Amino acid sequence: MTATRALRVPVGRARWLRISAVARRHAYVLRRSPHRLFDVTVWPIVDTVLFGSLGVFFARQGGPSSAAQAGVAYLLSGIVLWHVVYQAQIAVSTGFMEETWSRNLLSLMVTPLKELELVAGIAVFGLVKLVLGVGVVTLAAFALYAFDVTALGLGLLPVAAVLLMGGWAIALVVIGLILRYGNGAEALAWGIMFVVMPLGGVFYPVEALPAAARPISEVLPTTHAFAAGRSLVDGGPMPWGELGLAAAGTLVATLAALGFLAWMLRLFRRRGYITRYS
Amino acid sequence: MSDVLRARGLVKAYRRGRAVDGVDLTVRQGERVALLGPNGAGKTTTLLMCLGVVEPDAGTVEIAGHRLPKGRSAAMANVGFAAGYLPLPERLRVREYLRMFGQLYGLADPDGQAVRGLERFGIARLAQAMGTELSSGQKTLIGIVKSTMHDPDLLVLDEPTASLDPDVALRVRTGLADLCQERGTALLVTSHNMVEVERIAERVVFLSDGRVVADGPPAEVAARFGRDDLEAVFLHLAAGRQAPEHVEGARP
Repeated sequence: MTATRALRVPVGRARWLRISAVARRHAYVLRRSPHRLFDVTVWPIVDTVLFGSLGVFFARQGGPSSAAQAGVAYLLSGIVLWHVVYQAQIAVSTGFMEETWSRNLLSLMVTPLKELELVAGIAVFGLVKLVLGVGVVTLAAFALYAFDVTALGLGLLPVAAVLLMGGWAIALVVIGLILRYGNGAEALAWGIMFVVMPLGGVFYPVEALPAAARPISEVLPTTHAFAAGRSLVDGGPMPWGELGLAAAGTLVATLAALGFLAWMLRLFRRRGYITRYS
Repeated sequence: MSDVLRARGLVKAYRRGRAVDGVDLTVRQGERVALLGPNGAGKTTTLLMCLGVVEPDAGTVEIAGHRLPKGRSAAMANVGFAAGYLPLPERLRVREYLRMFGQLYGLADPDGQAVRGLERFGIARLAQAMGTELSSGQKTLIGIVKSTMHDPDLLVLDEPTASLDPDVALRVRTGLADLCQERGTALLVTSHNMVEVERIAERVVFLSDGRVVADGPPAEVAARFGRDDLEAVFLHLAAGRQAPEHVEGARP
């Protein structure tokens, strides 16, 4: 028992080392799974073409001076901003699912890695995917429809930041559901976005929805963030009240999602659900 | 010697009944302990509770002075874990996999520790291999390297040699014995291979129906059951027969 022990980094640095280890692991996964690039290349282009062409078609029906012209910009700015939510959510959800698919969860759980550090590591690498995905939409909108989203100015940044947090909050809920219900809940990672998209005010204000859906849309923070984005499209000043509402709502949603995740994690440990992945 | 693992009164019930029913388990520094029992005896549930992955309904677990679940992260810095049934992530090379876990354990030189670990078990040539290119035995070896590269105080191995041929199993036993000798690492292992257990463990803890039914040196436990070896004790317990008397552990 005279051998020297392996040297460790100081406790404060160890946390960042763990987060970066997770981020790097997911970089390898993306590099060696080209099909995963679909989420950040093909689907963004498909979405841009779909909503851009819809906008162009309706604009042509309405004539050159009609309000329908603004619709093209609403749709294209909407899809660019939507991909902030989508990419943030999908990157974190599928990053976590990768650990279940590769049956790596048990190995991770018996290291010093904390649950939030795992999510943080996946989210950090998810930012790279987000930049790729949103970059592709932005370039496609510019190349195919001459729509320059950067012309909306720096006001777009706080809107995108709120939507980024919103995407992460949804991902935390999806992870919680996977912990509770197993891989059967995976479909929610994509399915939940099809619910949020029409109700979350991505392309139109609350008033455009059927009356029964309006109360739901009203409480979704994304509704107010996208409304702020449309105000920028109209050339108006940043509607700080709307953005504040979106930020406050997102904060509440994130805290609720963290609480839900902690609850599901407790249940996961109590019921021994790890055996699903080992 | 101090206790590296101290579990007291562990209870876990699932819908089908009690999987673990009041298990006490202590492993001291440098000690090599085997946790044994037939399928369904509660070995894996006990291990998972000791590792903080499954929450006990009752009882306490302390590892290297850290009480679970609150001190889980600090406790796990002192624990290595490998299981014969756990695969390697497919999209990583061996050195990337080991570096990742080295960083999770907070190692200052994860690559250096990985190389030393691979050399210890005679598999340095596998460093560049992808997880998909390895045989099941090689994967098990890599898992053991992963679990030992941070010089843990406690090494927990669940069925570590299940998929290894006798030659590789010998290499694993030798590597583990060296580790325990050099570093004072305590070993807690489960296995269905009783011959191997007799070679590797200095103490065995037998579980049956979620309870500890024997605890002591292999030869002593076999003698208490009136059997020649652990294999016979195992078969006796697996057959569902009760021991002639409740056998208390050799330890106080």
